[in-house]
Amino acid sequence: MELDELRSEWQEMSNEIKKQKILTDKLIIDMTQERFNNRLKSISIPETIGTVVCFGVAILILLNFSKLNTWYLQLSGIFSILFYIVLPILSLKTIYGMKRINISQGNYRETLEQFAKNKMQFIQVQKWSYYLSFILVIVCLPVASKLMNGTDIFLESAVWLWYIPFGFVFLYFFSKWVFKKYKGASNSAERLLKDIEIS
Amino acid sequence: MQKQQDFITLIKENEGVIFKVTLVYTFNEEDQKDLYQEIVCQLWKSFDSFRGDSKISTWMYRIALNTAITNLKKEKRKGNRVPLDKSLLNKIDEIDTIIDDRLKILYAHIKKLNTVEKGIVLLYLEGKSYDEIAVITGFSVTNIGTRLNRIKKKLKSQIKK
Repeated sequence: MELDELRSEWQEMSNEIKKQKILTDKLIIDMTQERFNNRLKSISIPETIGTVVCFGVAILILLNFSKLNTWYLQLSGIFSILFYIVLPILSLKTIYGMKRINISQGNYRETLEQFAKNKMQFIQVQKWSYYLSFILVIVCLPVASKLMNGTDIFLESAVWLWYIPFGFVFLYFFSKWVFKKYKGASNSAERLLKDIEIS
Repeated sequence: MQKQQDFITLIKENEGVIFKVTLVYTFNEEDQKDLYQEIVCQLWKSFDSFRGDSKISTWMYRIALNTAITNLKKEKRKGNRVPLDKSLLNKIDEIDTIIDDRLKILYAHIKKLNTVEKGIVLLYLEGKSYDEIAVITGFSVTNIGTRLNRIKKKLKSQIKK
């Protein structure tokens, strides 16, 4: 069957669909009022709570930074503070980026491009968050131990004998999992951008 | 109040357009209803921005297609949606029965096309001219022609299989 033949059949179907009235005034009003609810919910609750917690921890480390009395504890502390401040901001920024696409302004092509680019950006930030979270798991332990118990576990504990080798083995498998997890999503966004460019 | 009434009239006159867009961009009934409501919401949000510079149908298709794109891969997302009453569900089912088998097959094949092609072929089947498709999609008229030729070949080979 040729596409032109289908076009006329499509028109017939369209005429039939046109006769079927689905929507009532009330239903349309209910649907449109949802926008007000959505506006309130546009700030994602889990991400916002997460960001507040991260900022709280960063402030806590910052206020007690003087307790970190060796260069490696200070380095761990700085990494933790940066992690707790920068990543939540980046994460929220990309989430908002996905939500902020202006549907009424752009045409199909522009919206597709923006969607695919924002998605790529979002995936990148998520990927790096996972990798850096792992480093955080390693560095937050000595910082927490020092701030809470005053113990420098680098010196006063044998925990490093198993913590570091175990950490690296875990990092290897963890990285493989992250790569696999985002490969599909990343490929589909790339494919979308390619499809737009094809002439 | 007048604005709301104008909007209701517009949606009622064009509800079939929204239905067809949702059919092409979703893979199950639940997502279809979800997208349907999302499109109505977005049309309402953008209603003020419509100044009559373009045809109302051009504006509607643009918003509907753009909404469908930004809802891609969000199938699992659950938001607060207006519960659809039984009569509405029955109506959607009724519409489903009037689409004959050949068109159902065509829909299934259109769903297999990539996102760019889906939008273009939908507008073509809707009887839009190349110029109108170019305005709605932002691709050049020549590009639309090339893409439609490719889509025709693709659909033909898909249907043959």
